[in-house]
Amino acid sequence: MRKIGDIASRTGQLTQVHNLAPLPPPYDRVEDLPARKKLKQEVLDRIDTSLDGFSALGLSRPQTPEEERKFIARFLSGLEKLLSADNNWAFLEPLNLSLDHCARCQSCVEACPIYTASGHDEVYRPTFRNEVFRRLVNQYHKSGGRALAWLKGEDIELNAATLCRLLESAYRCTLCRRCAQACPMGVDNALLTREIRKLFSMEMGIAPKEIHDKGSMLQLRTGSSTGMNARAVRDNVAFLDEEIRDQTGLTIETPWDKEGADVLLIHNAGEILAWPENPMAFAIILEAAGISWTMSSDLAGYDSVNYGLWYDDAQFARVAVRQAEAARKLKVKKIVLGECGHGHKASMVTADRLLCGDLNVPRESALVLLRDIVISGRLTLDPSRNDFPVTLHDPCNMVRMMGIVEPQREILRKICPQFREMTPHGVDNYCCGGGSGFALMSGYNFADWRFSVAGRMKLKQILNAFADCPSPAVKKYVCAPCSNCKGQFRDLFQYYGVWEKSGILYGGLAELIVNAMADIRQPFIKWEFH
Amino acid sequence: MLLIILISVAVIVFFAGNTVRIVHFLRMPTPLRWELYPIPKGPRARQRYGGSYFEQSDWWTKSHDTGRAGELAFMAKEILLLRSVWENFRGLWLWSWLLHWGLYFYLLTTVVAILAAVLRAGSFRLLHLAVLYGSPLACSLGVAGSLGLLVMRSLHPRLRGYTTRSSVFNLTLLGAAFVTGLLSLSDGAGLDGLVRVLLRSPASLGHYGKISQAHLALVAFFLAYFPFTHMTHAYMKYFTWHGVRWNDSPAIRDPQAAMRLAASLQREVTWAATHIAAGGPAKWSEVASDPGGRGAGRA
Ligand code: SF4
Ligand code: SF4
Repeated sequence: MRKIGDIASRTGQLTQVHNLAPLPPPYDRVEDLPARKKLKQEVLDRIDTSLDGFSALGLSRPQTPEEERKFIARFLSGLEKLLSADNNWAFLEPLNLSLDHCARCQSCVEACPIYTASGHDEVYRPTFRNEVFRRLVNQYHKSGGRALAWLKGEDIELNAATLCRLLESAYRCTLCRRCAQACPMGVDNALLTREIRKLFSMEMGIAPKEIHDKGSMLQLRTGSSTGMNARAVRDNVAFLDEEIRDQTGLTIETPWDKEGADVLLIHNAGEILAWPENPMAFAIILEAAGISWTMSSDLAGYDSVNYGLWYDDAQFARVAVRQAEAARKLKVKKIVLGECGHGHKASMVTADRLLCGDLNVPRESALVLLRDIVISGRLTLDPSRNDFPVTLHDPCNMVRMMGIVEPQREILRKICPQFREMTPHGVDNYCCGGGSGFALMSGYNFADWRFSVAGRMKLKQILNAFADCPSPAVKKYVCAPCSNCKGQFRDLFQYYGVWEKSGILYGGLAELIVNAMADIRQPFIKWEFH
Repeated sequence: MLLIILISVAVIVFFAGNTVRIVHFLRMPTPLRWELYPIPKGPRARQRYGGSYFEQSDWWTKSHDTGRAGELAFMAKEILLLRSVWENFRGLWLWSWLLHWGLYFYLLTTVVAILAAVLRAGSFRLLHLAVLYGSPLACSLGVAGSLGLLVMRSLHPRLRGYTTRSSVFNLTLLGAAFVTGLLSLSDGAGLDGLVRVLLRSPASLGHYGKISQAHLALVAFFLAYFPFTHMTHAYMKYFTWHGVRWNDSPAIRDPQAAMRLAASLQREVTWAATHIAAGGPAKWSEVASDPGGRGAGRA
């Protein structure tokens, strides 16, 4: 059994992923899975994989004692800032509460899908990385900490190995907060994990490329983490308008920058490129329901993503403010957030106290607007068009962290005769395994870990939900009203061959509604995996 | 005399330590929202599945339940029945429950004993009886709980790796306090006797047996030690649950929010990564309104 102090071991790998929780047949045949990516020796020589053999960050360990000393000094300086009101007023209180009040009772551990999927690997316990972090704080930040740590037998050597493993392990948690729900003290291991990520990003400039360089930085430069600038996004959406005409015969021109509209719709811009059927479905529904709506071509006004939510407060604040400014400029009545879970939470919850006065434009979930439209009877819906097995994935950010549970269910109960729940569901759901940026991260060999560990419990749940119709001949649909979750499902299903073996497709909620619209000529959902 | 001084100092440290702790947290800047569902507010039906006001369209135009009844009912179950432990770690529950109830009864009987002593309640026989039976009950529960937890912590594979010297110390301290509490019944006048003497004629404490004195010394030590441990979760749960986990209060309804935010935005940022404030220290307001997207400097 691994001990907490092992994190500091200067050599060797802390654990190996091998004893994974079993999957139902035919997914239990390891030989059918793609071989795990073998990193070249030159890469292994360069990056740190000493936690579990995987790398999310491609972190290079300091090579000389001088480099190591500087690395540690930067960490300690970041630790001071993390625990100061000036630099971390936004999370200082919950951070300290979670640092100080853990009873080490381990009530939280079984709630963690990563820990259970890994076959209870000690290194993936929700409490492992945070106990390391807590001890480092106690030992190196508090006065008299070193003596006390030694006395309590809780001292940890602070070396490069400790820090590299600590940071990598902060990217072995999806920030799903199931563990936080289970904690009797109100300690939040996800928050602590995010604070670790934050320290490394905000002080040392270390974060996964996919969510920083190619994510929030790109969004602040171009307007979207996809790299689409205002012109590109308008061109792409115009193309989708044409697509709607071709597919349905409806003439829709997506409104842009319409001042005084009731609704500013902000999609996760990734939808426009990867799952265009979702923004198309929204346009069809909003037009059919007679909603006064617009999209914004302002910087970040057309992309609801805010990756800072997962790792960096400055990036978070910048994006949140830009999005709110876009809405204020257009004088819309409300922002409606499209099917993007973290975009929902970032804008509606976490940014709430950042946006004061007229910048705090009311924000609402698209699921609520869609529910109102469906229930109001403004659309003619024919549920028999959706007469295939459907289950619902609950995006953690919308459900566990915002309590938006029923609107999507009200819709599905009305339009999907074969709707069935997963177990567990609602606020107790399992994360898709792509949370906190993982759906975007595939560098080095991280994708293998994401599919074999992070997405495992979700895959199991989905298969169980369709246990009564396992044949690939019966086409089934996982409704995932979140762009990141869909990204994870796309990659996860591909890795396990879920479409071929079980005939399970994933997609959004708006698509199901349009598929049920009686006045749309052809089925809107194309049963093609992409 | 030494014991009296020890007890007096312990009581002062206990109250001062806990006050400092509470004030410390109260004075921290208002954090950003970080709530977690289910939250026991709003209509019952919605609470049952963990729904929130965000489920309503134009939620900002509707009235919200800001009452505490749901929170209190939830917390009562948490405090009295240790609901989260029951749901998430059944094997630990019994011992933890015994220890907690030992502490609750001990606290209760001490309060009753103080009351009886202050009221000079020879005639309040009920109070006397409550202490007479409450005290051994509290100590028995406490002994069973702390012993059970010590065994669990040493043997259970889920707990072993996370059992620190301080967890063993804390449980041993509590166990010793409860054991001596139990033994002091045959040694002296029991809890009400000790409390009466402490309040009325502390000088005669020396007449009591060694075990009673050891008990008082252990309780005094525990009181002084308590504010510096995670055991303050007893009241800090107000902050972790009510203040963070259940705090879904929207800024749009909060007239003070803008003022608090303005103060926080004036704070200086000294984070060193180049993408934060490449030109040197800046205020949060400047960082947030900076277009960003600059600063290479990734390590
Ligand atoms: S985080 Fe909570 S549940 Fe987990 S060990 Fe700490 S106190 Fe127990
Ligand atoms: S937040 Fe989720 S993934 Fe992370 S430790 Fe907790 S339960 Fe596990």
